Amino acid sequence: MIRRFMPVIVCVLLAPSLTFAAPNPRLLLPEFGALADKASESVTITLDPSMLAMAGRFLDSNDPQDAATQEVIKGLQGIYVRSYTFDQDYFYKQSDIDAVRKQLSAPGWNRLMETRSRKTHANVEIYIMTEGNKAIGLALIASEPREFTIVNIIGSIDLQKLHKLEGQFGVPKLDLDATKAPALNKQK
Amino acid sequence: MKDDLETELRQALRPVAPSEGFEERLLARVTAERSSPPKPSRLKWRRSPATRWLSAGLAASILAAVGIQHHLHAQREREIGLEARRQVIEALRVTEEKLELAYRVVKDQSSSVSDEKPGV
Repeated sequence: MIRRFMPVIVCVLLAPSLTFAAPNPRLLLPEFGALADKASESVTITLDPSMLAMAGRFLDSNDPQDAATQEVIKGLQGIYVRSYTFDQDYFYKQSDIDAVRKQLSAPGWNRLMETRSRKTHANVEIYIMTEGNKAIGLALIASEPREFTIVNIIGSIDLQKLHKLEGQFGVPKLDLDATKAPALNKQK
Repeated sequence: MKDDLETELRQALRPVAPSEGFEERLLARVTAERSSPPKPSRLKWRRSPATRWLSAGLAASILAAVGIQHHLHAQREREIGLEARRQVIEALRVTEEKLELAYRVVKDQSSSVSDEKPGV
C-alpha cells in the first residue's frame, strides 16, 4: 500500500524545496575550446571553494596586496574566468557570449550596469545576484573587438573590498566614488 | 555431616614431613638445571644479528617511505596552493581590468556629453 503511494509522498516532500529553490549564481561557462585554440592569449581560471581555501593559506597577511586579496576572497565560494584575446577583430562569435548572457536573464540576476563605447566598441555588462541585501553572485561580460572576458564570482561579494584592490595589480587606480561615477549604481 | 567434612579436610591438609634426603635431591636438581645448556628457543631466529639488521633496515625503510610520502604530499600541496594563489590574483586582476574598462567607457560618455553641453 505504502509502496504504491511512495512516488506521491516523495513528490509532496520535494515540492517545497523545488518551488523555493535558491537561485544559483554559478554560471555554466562553455569550454570555449575552439576559441582558446584561435586566441593569441587566453585565461581560464576555475577556482572552487577548496581551491580558494587553499589559495587563502598561501596569501601572506603581512603583504598589503595579499592581505587585501584575503579580505576579498574571504566570503567567496568560487571564481571563474574565461578571457580570450585575438589578433584579428571579431574573431569570436556573438553567439558564444549570448549563451552566457541568456543565463543572466534567470530570476535573481540584476543588471548593475551596461556600458557601450561607440568609439572603441567596448561593451561591459555587470550583473549581480542578491539575496536579501547581500550580493551572492557577480557576473561580468566584457567584449571588445579583439577580446572578450567573462567573470563569474560566487559568494558574498563586497564591492567596496574589490574597490580597495584597485591599483594593486598594476591596473591604474579607479575613481569609483558614487558621486563621480553614478552610472555604476544604475539598475536594470 | 559438617563434622565429617571438617575431619576429612584436616586429614587431607595435615602437615607432612618431607622424606629423607629431599633437600639434597632438590639442590642437586637445581644445580643440574643451572649448568645444563639452555633449551633451543622457538624465537631463536629473532636473536640472530642478520635478522636484527634486516628488521632494523625494514623499519628504517618504512620510516623513510612514510617521510618521503609526507614530504611529497606537502610539496604537492604547496605547489597547488601557490598555483591557486596565482590564479586568484590573476582573476582579480582581470576583474579589475574590466571594471576599469567600464569606468573608462562611462567617463568617455560623460565627458562627451559635457562637451556637447558646455553650459551644464
